[in-house]
Amino acid sequence: MDEEIDTRKINNSFLRDHNYATEVQPVQTLDYIDSIKAFFFSDNGQLRSFTQPEPPLMRRQEAFNRTADIISTVEFNSTGELLATGDKGGRVVVFQREQESKNQPHRRGEYNVYSTFQSHEPEFDYLKSLEIEEKINKIRWLPQQNAAYFLLSTNDKTVKLWKISERDKRPEGYNLKDEEGRIRDPTTITALRVPVLRPMDLMVEATPRRIFSNAHTYHINSISVNSDYETYMSTDDLRINLWNLEITNRSFNIVDIKPANMEELTEVITAAEFHPNQCNTFVYSSSKGSIRLCDMRTSALCDNHSKLFEEPEDPSNRSFFSEIISSISDVKFSHSGRYLMTRDYLTVKVWDINMESKPLETYQVHDYLRSKLCSLYENDCIFDKFECVWNGTDSVLMTGSYNNFFRMFDRNTKRDVTLEASRENSKPRAILKPRKVCVGGKRRKDEISVDSLDFSKKILHTAWHPNENIIAVAATNNLYIFQDKVN
Amino acid sequence: MDVEAKRIMAVSIGKLYSLRTQRGGLRLHRSLLLSMTMRAARDIYHTAQLLRDAEEEQVVPCAPDAATEEPMEISKDSPQTLTPKEVAVKPQETLEEDKENRCASERHSRKRRGKTAVEPDFLPLKKAKMDTDEEKQHLQGEVLRTNNGNSCRQAETLSAFPTNRAIVAC
Repeated sequence: MDEEIDTRKINNSFLRDHNYATEVQPVQTLDYIDSIKAFFFSDNGQLRSFTQPEPPLMRRQEAFNRTADIISTVEFNSTGELLATGDKGGRVVVFQREQESKNQPHRRGEYNVYSTFQSHEPEFDYLKSLEIEEKINKIRWLPQQNAAYFLLSTNDKTVKLWKISERDKRPEGYNLKDEEGRIRDPTTITALRVPVLRPMDLMVEATPRRIFSNAHTYHINSISVNSDYETYMSTDDLRINLWNLEITNRSFNIVDIKPANMEELTEVITAAEFHPNQCNTFVYSSSKGSIRLCDMRTSALCDNHSKLFEEPEDPSNRSFFSEIISSISDVKFSHSGRYLMTRDYLTVKVWDINMESKPLETYQVHDYLRSKLCSLYENDCIFDKFECVWNGTDSVLMTGSYNNFFRMFDRNTKRDVTLEASRENSKPRAILKPRKVCVGGKRRKDEISVDSLDFSKKILHTAWHPNENIIAVAATNNLYIFQDKVN
Repeated sequence: MDVEAKRIMAVSIGKLYSLRTQRGGLRLHRSLLLSMTMRAARDIYHTAQLLRDAEEEQVVPCAPDAATEEPMEISKDSPQTLTPKEVAVKPQETLEEDKENRCASERHSRKRRGKTAVEPDFLPLKKAKMDTDEEKQHLQGEVLRTNNGNSCRQAETLSAFPTNRAIVAC
């Protein structure tokens, strides 16, 4: 079992040495899976404490912090049994939750590595003399329809459909070839036999089933599977294309905001998603802070929106950087399909799709950064694209911040909590302590001041199990999985 | 305020330049945001500059040969003491370096004209020489134009100012 965990070593052969890799610093890092911890979850106004069973033994290894290992996307599948991560090196690692055993009822299923594969390779566009990065921008699971699992993964230009299947039986007893696969000498064959399936060690293999390429001039930022389970869309800065999962040589353009004269460009598409239930409806967000809801039944090209969600800007907050911080980095439908959540640099907003004029709720993620925008502009942090997620019941929102902090907002109680994903203060069976950032004046003992925040440690990608309180938090090249415990 | 604006402009230009050499090709979203910020900063700077000029009652010449890069005008204001010049010189140096770099990169990326044209006027545009006369006529009366669009020749125009020469030399 331990061998399975240490997949990074095994799979080194998948990885290339990129000569142009950015600076490498020797740091002791763990494998992808870190220990499983607990977190505070506020429920009905009461803070409940949760603990965790002992995590499996993991081997620490001295490793260089490679930029190829930076996790770039995290996604649970529709049942929560599988968790996929994509990284900057083009790899996908899939974790599977182990079955809960009856012997240890208190021990909740933990996630172990199930499959690792190289999804995308670096490419070169000869026509434009451009490198195409292999970084996985998004992973989306398809709903499960048979024993195999399917996911879509995309880099800047190409979407791939991967099939992940298990093989635990092998046919043996061929007539024309021996057990090693060598062709038998026909003169030695004296009898016929039917090959039989014999059990073998479980092997999980990932095969690319479809490759959807050459449809995007600009960089793909989102993919979204439609609820009809037949189509999906891929979104780049200026266009959205609709694909059929079976057909790779054709896609339909459904949104095109490219102006006739590129010099007049004022906004780009930053994210898009299909409605969870209505297969004709989707939304896309823009760099200007607006969200457009479109109905594919109205016309073939959905340039004209059905609804436009936009909040007028507060003139008192105007600065050089207003444009940048109002750019929406992520948009997510609630599971019910009734609400939309958007993330811009400083806030998370919940919109009712029946009300376009302003959001229903606005949550401040890290408003103390508002006075630091100039420095954040200089160190490029202001361009960071944070994602946001709903919990299974649409009652809690979660998003990341800096210093490996991530925030949760309870929509019902209006309480929020800041937690930290770090090895130092995460011991087995420990309860995660809420963190607080001191905004000025007297700093209390446990608080951290804004100036001591580490802006290189950012949590951009998080995921929430569809049914249970299990969250996956990606902190640079480490993945943290937190669960709650039911007393 | 305009010092801040100038700094933001300089930072933006530097970032726009480095975007071109980044792996994965030109990032449209980021270039757009950078251009917008730079334009906002430039507009503020413009306004502040014009206000200051109006205060000092110095007429800004309209002739093309007086049209230089905007930051150089600060150093050209002779009644100013050395201190504001020194203040202006540092960001200007960055701007100069960046402009020289930009000059080189624009030669490379002429195909990307669409995006480069979004950047402010005072940056050199790598048009062919024969266009310059048209340019000059078109921009008559505009304060900000470079000399022939060849910013590499800044050093010569600054020769009258020893402090600037010292900086350009190193």
